[in-house]
Amino acid sequence: MRFVFSLIVVIACNFCSNAQTTPGGYSESDVRALVERINKLEKRVAELEGKDSSSAASVQVTEGQAPSQAPAQPSATVPLATAPANKPPGQHDMEAMHQQVASEAESFPSLKIRGFADVDFAANDQPNTRSGFTLGQFVLHFASRLSNKISYFAEVSLTAQPSLYNVDLERSIIRYDVNDALKISFGRYHTPINYWNTAFHHGAWLQTTINRPDMIRFGGTFEPVHFLGAQAEGNIPSGALNLGYNLGIGNGRGSILSRAGDNGDVNNNRAWLVNLYSRPTKFRKLQVGGSYYNDEISLNTIGGVLPEGPASREWIAAGHLVWTGETPEFLAEFANVHHRSILTGHGFDSQGGYAQIAYRLPFWEKKWKPYYRYDYVQVPAGEPFFFTVDNVRGSTLGMRYDISDFAAFKTEYRNGRAAPNSPVRANGVVLQTAFTF
Amino acid sequence: MKHKTFVVVLAAVGILLAGVAETGAQTKASDMAVIVNPSTPVSDLSLAEVRKVFRGDRQYWTKDVPVVLLIRAPQSRERSVILKTLYGMSESQFKQYWIAKIFRAEATTAPKIVYSNDMATELISVIPGAIAFIPQSDVKDGLKVLKIDGHMPGEPGYPLK
Repeated sequence: MRFVFSLIVVIACNFCSNAQTTPGGYSESDVRALVERINKLEKRVAELEGKDSSSAASVQVTEGQAPSQAPAQPSATVPLATAPANKPPGQHDMEAMHQQVASEAESFPSLKIRGFADVDFAANDQPNTRSGFTLGQFVLHFASRLSNKISYFAEVSLTAQPSLYNVDLERSIIRYDVNDALKISFGRYHTPINYWNTAFHHGAWLQTTINRPDMIRFGGTFEPVHFLGAQAEGNIPSGALNLGYNLGIGNGRGSILSRAGDNGDVNNNRAWLVNLYSRPTKFRKLQVGGSYYNDEISLNTIGGVLPEGPASREWIAAGHLVWTGETPEFLAEFANVHHRSILTGHGFDSQGGYAQIAYRLPFWEKKWKPYYRYDYVQVPAGEPFFFTVDNVRGSTLGMRYDISDFAAFKTEYRNGRAAPNSPVRANGVVLQTAFTF
Repeated sequence: MKHKTFVVVLAAVGILLAGVAETGAQTKASDMAVIVNPSTPVSDLSLAEVRKVFRGDRQYWTKDVPVVLLIRAPQSRERSVILKTLYGMSESQFKQYWIAKIFRAEATTAPKIVYSNDMATELISVIPGAIAFIPQSDVKDGLKVLKIDGHMPGEPGYPLK
């Protein structure tokens, strides 16, 4: 009998606990608390709607007096003002939300702005050098749909200089989408022959590390960072290979080798590029691709690039292999830059590349990501265009800590040459907090 | 006495079986249906194509009908399923993915957030090219449900659970 009684008690307890627990695992007290909270929120919504309906009514009157100035797109207040008064509280909000989302899908232009910024601290062990804080780049990115098939993108950066802020229009692109296979655009781009250059642009928060690879650093000349002209891009129907492409024609390098010819081509000779990549269906995080870039560049006696200087053909062949996951993340790129004098036929080949690996640690809330990168740049002696490019053999070791979904701390140790082509090695430490807003 | 014990044990077994049956029913209803605006000119997609659509790699159904992605707000089961099966990402990675995609000028907007399956259903019916993910049990008459890899939700082999 005792056994039977115990069994009944156990079953009853089990039954009661099941009855008190929702499928999602919430207890009855949780549900009661939620219901109370919903009641409070509904009451609050009803109060706010009472206030809103009076203000919305006044807006309606204003719009009626000046119909030509009324906004063309529906706003969140319109549905509130026009909703029948006998609807239950909460339903008004939901309807407003529905209309807002629905109208967003059709309203143009639809400008969205996002910002990126960072603050850095750097120090190294070399004599006569200074450590200290620097304000990194402040970057604003604009994306706006002008119609279902036309979009505009822009990127503006503000960079601290000794006496002022340098403002630069990094990208300004208007794009016409014919379909997924053909999107035609015009403007100023980050040259799509380098993965890093187009994946992270000026968003320090987006990249795992603090510094960019040497082969594509800001202000560098090894590869052209910017490209002004026209581009066609899209997907290539290719089944599981999932191919994509970029074809571009533009001004090529400007009178300053590190800059695009923003105000016209310096030598009346267009640069062109082709980039082909694959994101195989079977390996969703893999991207592998290759690029080719051709231009004619000129050199004058003082080292600048001018039309009247000796001219060379520039051929850049580049490839990348990227695993975009975080356990691990792997990026590797290599490029060969060939310059051949049109007059003498004498050629120079310079190589640059890097391999970077990072791994999001599975513990400590997955906020930590250690990383390592090896940078390599080799320029032959006598290369006429790359006299400011350092030969690099550098290692970077760092740790990224994501404070939140939109902000990170990074710390980085770097070992490399103390000065261009110097046999002395230097050790440096950089700290950064980077974020998006 | 023995008879009473037998009845009690039988009742207990019955309750347990009822619980198991209920759990089974919940599992069966948990397939995620991919619904689209009725004018969308597709009815069958492979899982790989659904991934391309939701990852923003395919942005047009036809040359004049853009894809409009509707995704449930964070914490919902529908969003968890989509992040796991289609994106293979955590919530943080998903946010970063779309920020990066827009920053690269590969997309102009992130997926639109919907706060309930009813909201998803209503918006699907009014936005041309819209696509969303709702539990099979919430699919109402008149909605266009896509076959995935040749299977409708609830059929054996349906990949989105």
